[in-house]
Amino acid sequence: MNVKDQIIDKISSFPTLPTMANKLLGLLNDPDVTGSQISQIIQYDPALTANLMKAANSAYLGHTKRVSSISEAFFRLGTKWIFQMSVSSLIYSNMRRPVTGYDLSGEDLWRHSMAVALMSDILCKHLNLKEIGLIFTSGLLHDMGKIILGEFVSDSFDEIEAIVEKEKVPFEEAERRVLGIDHAEVGGLTAESWKFPATMVESIRWHHNPEGAGMPSQAIDLIHIADAVCMMQGLGIGKDGIHYRLNEGSITRLNITNQIMETATSQLVTALEEVDNIIKEIPAVEAVGRS
Amino acid sequence: MSLVVLGISEVHVSKMPGDILITYSLGSCIGVTMYDPELKLGGMIHYMLPLSKISPEKAAAKPAMFADTGVPVLLKKMYKMGAAKDRLVVKVAGGSQLMDQNKVFNIGERNYTVLRKILWKNNILINSEDVGGNLSRTLRLDIDTGLTTVKSSRGVQEL
Repeated sequence: MNVKDQIIDKISSFPTLPTMANKLLGLLNDPDVTGSQISQIIQYDPALTANLMKAANSAYLGHTKRVSSISEAFFRLGTKWIFQMSVSSLIYSNMRRPVTGYDLSGEDLWRHSMAVALMSDILCKHLNLKEIGLIFTSGLLHDMGKIILGEFVSDSFDEIEAIVEKEKVPFEEAERRVLGIDHAEVGGLTAESWKFPATMVESIRWHHNPEGAGMPSQAIDLIHIADAVCMMQGLGIGKDGIHYRLNEGSITRLNITNQIMETATSQLVTALEEVDNIIKEIPAVEAVGRS
Repeated sequence: MSLVVLGISEVHVSKMPGDILITYSLGSCIGVTMYDPELKLGGMIHYMLPLSKISPEKAAAKPAMFADTGVPVLLKKMYKMGAAKDRLVVKVAGGSQLMDQNKVFNIGERNYTVLRKILWKNNILINSEDVGGNLSRTLRLDIDTGLTTVKSSRGVQEL
């Protein structure tokens, strides 16, 4: 078996997303999803419910009256927030582990993923884009291919790095040359095997190369730009550093100005601090293998 | 030895013997160190954006987020603790960009340009620097000795 086949083989044995997260993601295809539909799913998970209530009552949000039911939590936090936090908390322990090869601590990958999710959301607001429900979660999962590819990158790191240095090509291109596949494609294949909605699969698959997708989409462009900003800001950077390309086509299509870019970047730090404050209140859920 | 870690948009000044000021993952952000060897007094800032005009309220809450509000804060803190301008040793690291970025959103380059202007207006020279490229850098200042180092994928080098 060559390395590429070994990697693809590994994707099928990668732990699946908890059933609950899958059900929640399924709802994303429904534009009329309501808070009660979401609460119907999460109410069967006492740990998640408890965590959401804890978050709704977190000191950070500054309310004095405590919420006592999940529907009150919805009222206080909003459907979108609950949804994002549910999915985040369910995949939390999947993302919070160190990734060899890229030398990412569990904290690094989580931080980078959360930063990209928040940045894509912030950019959406600045660009007045109609709610793209999948964006936040796509941002959260865009680099999950690194979790699988890490050990292979680790074995061939010197070879990959030598190509990056000598030929001045992006890191993912060097990955492809040495391993036959790169972390974005591995992530895309994993998302596909998890039966994610097509937009999510595409934005994970093409996040380093939006032009590679048959049809570039706003979602892909947004994840690409958000990822670029977070790399530039050094948020959760690994051994691959910032050896990646910025695709000008994405900037033109989304019509992002320097001012939007810098304002959004300044908002990112605050957003990240807010999430850090709230997440502190949510202990890691034993997500893998629970369902 | 005690390690003082600076996050994004933070500034710190120390003359505590044994202190090491350090900041990680400088991409397009810039880290500046200032050191007065006579007092063994050192300071560092890790700012992310060039100009505060994009968000005066953020600048009010976190002046070290921007070069134009943050660098003056670092200077004032240094002077307040007795630093003399003619003894200041100033070193700079960061200002990276992604590959093929040219002028598009080149926050790293703008961060550096604005810094040079501010220092020039204050009649302060940069003693040494390691800026640009596609590197992620860690900047470290030893308060006891003033030794300033940069760590990146190219290894550790003295600035």
